Amino acid sequence: MAKYIGKRLVLAIVSILIVSAITFFVMNAIPGGPFNKEKATSAEAQKVLEERYNLDKPIGEQYVLYLNNLMHGDWGISLHNGRDIWDEIQMRFQVSAKLGGMAAAVAIVIGLVLGSIAALTRNKLPDRLIIFFTTLGTAMPSFVLATLLLLIFCLKLGWFPVWSSSNPNYVLPIIALSVYPMAYITRLTKTSMLDSLNQDYVRTAKAKGVPGWKVIFKHALRNALVPVVTYVGPMVAYILTGSMVVENIFTIGGLGSTFVTSIVNRDYTMIMAVTLFLAILMVFANLLTDIAYKMIDPRITFE
Amino acid sequence: MKKKLVSVLLVACMALSLTACGKNDAGNKKNDAADNTQTEGTENSDAEEGADTEEGAEGGSITNSDTNVLYINLASEPDYLDPALNSSVDGGCLAVNTFAGLYTYDKEGNLIPDLAVDMPEVSAEEENEGKIYTVKLKESKWSNGDDLKAQDFVYSWNRACAEETAADYGYLFDIIARKDDGTLAVEATDDYTLVITLVNPCPYFNDLMAFPTFFPVHQASVEAADPDGSVPGKWAQEAGFVCNGAYTLESWNHDESMVYKKNANYHNVDSVTMEELHFMLSADDTAIYAAYNSGDVDYIDTVPNDEISSLNGVNPEFGILDNLGTYYIGFNVNDPIFDGKTVEEAAKMRQAMNLLIDRQFIVENIGQSGQIVADSFVPLGMADGNGGEFKQADTSYYDAETTGAAMVEDAKKLMEEAGYSFTDNGDGTYKIDPAINMTYLTNDGTGHVAIAQAVQQDLGVLGITMEIQTQDWNVFLENRKNGSFTIAREGWLADYNDPVNMLEIFTSDSGNNDMQLGKGEKSDSAPDWAEYDALITEIRNTADFAKRVELMHKAEDMLMNTWAVVPLYYYNDIYMQKPNVDGIYATVYGMKYFMNATKK
Repeated sequence: MAKYIGKRLVLAIVSILIVSAITFFVMNAIPGGPFNKEKATSAEAQKVLEERYNLDKPIGEQYVLYLNNLMHGDWGISLHNGRDIWDEIQMRFQVSAKLGGMAAAVAIVIGLVLGSIAALTRNKLPDRLIIFFTTLGTAMPSFVLATLLLLIFCLKLGWFPVWSSSNPNYVLPIIALSVYPMAYITRLTKTSMLDSLNQDYVRTAKAKGVPGWKVIFKHALRNALVPVVTYVGPMVAYILTGSMVVENIFTIGGLGSTFVTSIVNRDYTMIMAVTLFLAILMVFANLLTDIAYKMIDPRITFE
Repeated sequence: MKKKLVSVLLVACMALSLTACGKNDAGNKKNDAADNTQTEGTENSDAEEGADTEEGAEGGSITNSDTNVLYINLASEPDYLDPALNSSVDGGCLAVNTFAGLYTYDKEGNLIPDLAVDMPEVSAEEENEGKIYTVKLKESKWSNGDDLKAQDFVYSWNRACAEETAADYGYLFDIIARKDDGTLAVEATDDYTLVITLVNPCPYFNDLMAFPTFFPVHQASVEAADPDGSVPGKWAQEAGFVCNGAYTLESWNHDESMVYKKNANYHNVDSVTMEELHFMLSADDTAIYAAYNSGDVDYIDTVPNDEISSLNGVNPEFGILDNLGTYYIGFNVNDPIFDGKTVEEAAKMRQAMNLLIDRQFIVENIGQSGQIVADSFVPLGMADGNGGEFKQADTSYYDAETTGAAMVEDAKKLMEEAGYSFTDNGDGTYKIDPAINMTYLTNDGTGHVAIAQAVQQDLGVLGITMEIQTQDWNVFLENRKNGSFTIAREGWLADYNDPVNMLEIFTSDSGNNDMQLGKGEKSDSAPDWAEYDALITEIRNTADFAKRVELMHKAEDMLMNTWAVVPLYYYNDIYMQKPNVDGIYATVYGMKYFMNATKK
């Protein structure tokens, strides 16, 4: 196990390096630059800025310099507004993680419950209702949902403020973020639960008189979890890094909008930092997923 | 029933998916000073329209009852709160409410002393006539209680123009003379007297002293935050920085909100009627407009483009402010379509296309907020630096009201003189020989693209084919600067009230000369531009203001006679303000002053 994790960590570092190289060179290859403005920056100022941020050096050297700084824990400063990148990422991630964490929790809990109910009431009314609404949930993109929520709950009903400086409300953004993964988890759970309910070991358990709830939780649900976990790992990583659309509509300063803005502004240091951050998070989520497999199903080996 | 519900939802999804793109450059939108009109509106949601119009028709009469707090949206996160580094209009608005300079503007737009005791004393003796400004300062304090002295201005101005600060507006200090050691010829002769020596007499220097780049910054704070000078704006990156204006920044949740509170050490604190300003930091038109309609925000200066027509003249909360600037499109004078033409022929081609563009259609159907069609580059209402207005009845280069369909024959004649021939299609349109294929470069933005399409249609009458290239904001800026286009979308919002601010865009060494006048390898069709450069230098050096006005008219004539610049309309700016709010005012540069606001 320890050996396996060690191996995975080495692989993780390699993949993060590859991601960083691809991002760095592609980002520099796309047209545009960080100091382009409607009113042009003077040639002198541009020169000072390029020197300050090493942009006057050959691209290969820039990459080496960047990696070198990164090894020393220096993520650099934003080319766009001079902010410290690491402070910025931490601050934004706290917001996105809080929001995304709650959304992920909601999605997982409700998704599992609804999925199990649907499987157990197969072809009866609860099942049909759940499947109807989850189909809707997977079909509706988050920006549609977010706009609809804003329209209904903020403007028509007035239950929540659209924006508040003193008391920001996370209920609507959490709903907007969690509906899709929740619907997806529900469907996954239902399918794999149905599958395991038909297995021999469930029949055996029932036959030898194990109580109904125990059959469901210990035998059926546990084995049904493997495909769900496969989805949940990357989903959590993804949702934690925020959604530009939901953040913009509900005026939330998270990582999702930072990522998009940094690309629009060609804020190279910020693009690199957010991409690497997301890559690291993804790699870890995948590692945790694999470990979770082992805990759920001891038959799975890491060979 | 189920089927019906599903189909309704499907329609909603499809309509919204059309609007999913193009949100990105909303973030940029407020960063570009020249581009602050509603034409920049980046998204319009068909699906939202129904609901939003309904809200609009109700007049958004929901107001909040916090009479001590003004809730405002100007833009998303500002890049810099440091007044020296800021170059955006929304950042400028924050600066004028948090910093006090030597001068400021009153409600009527008059320049009045702020930290200065009086208007400056300008030297009158022969040799230095109009060059030496003496400004007496009031005793005042920084928000942390430190005394603010004339030396603070000496430091701040030298910092703002220093090379290592790399401020966008550093060049504004070029009109101040330099001492032998390279620093500005600005002296604090005592703690409250500032003596400034200019290179040449300058009619707009008083205006500049009210411009945010000229505001003082607190030296100890700047140096403590950034001892080695590598991050010049660091001292003002979080709430609580030292300032000297009406408000101090108390808290800042990035991309969410900013809370400003009245500064007890502000020199004019008694005049401040609004206790707190809370800013919504968003550039999402839909969210902003929703926040206004729900009563969460009292003042906004963007609305979704589609809403303008239903608000303008209908809803009394909708207002229009004059701006000093021009929306125009411009030809790349080195473009291949002019190859083989003489300078005159190329100018005639551009003049012809200029005449074909129906400006009235553009302002009525695309701008929609009562913009005035432009017949000159220097905008209406701009001062001439000699006590008058620059634009007179005779500074009209064409009749802007009638360009378009009525001018087709004139345009055709000009094109014929430039070597083209036409065959009548019989339906009022013509086929041109040889064919002209060109590109129109614009960034993504509903208004901009709609204007491009209007131009495309107008030019099509004479058989000219034009391809519209809509590019991502940053790529657009790069290509426009490099001249990779035949026509590009342009705009300039004045920084100060003098025509030279508009005219110096086109000197051959200017970074904003996208029309490539005098740039690159000179082709036979591009106008000779050395004379224009010389003229701008002469304007900068002319002490006789009456003569200066004459020279500036000459420069505008020269510019307009190339027909490379095609003014479409003069900018204005829209806003919405709740009926219980009063006392907010703005300058023609787009700066908004909130300290005298009242709320019932």
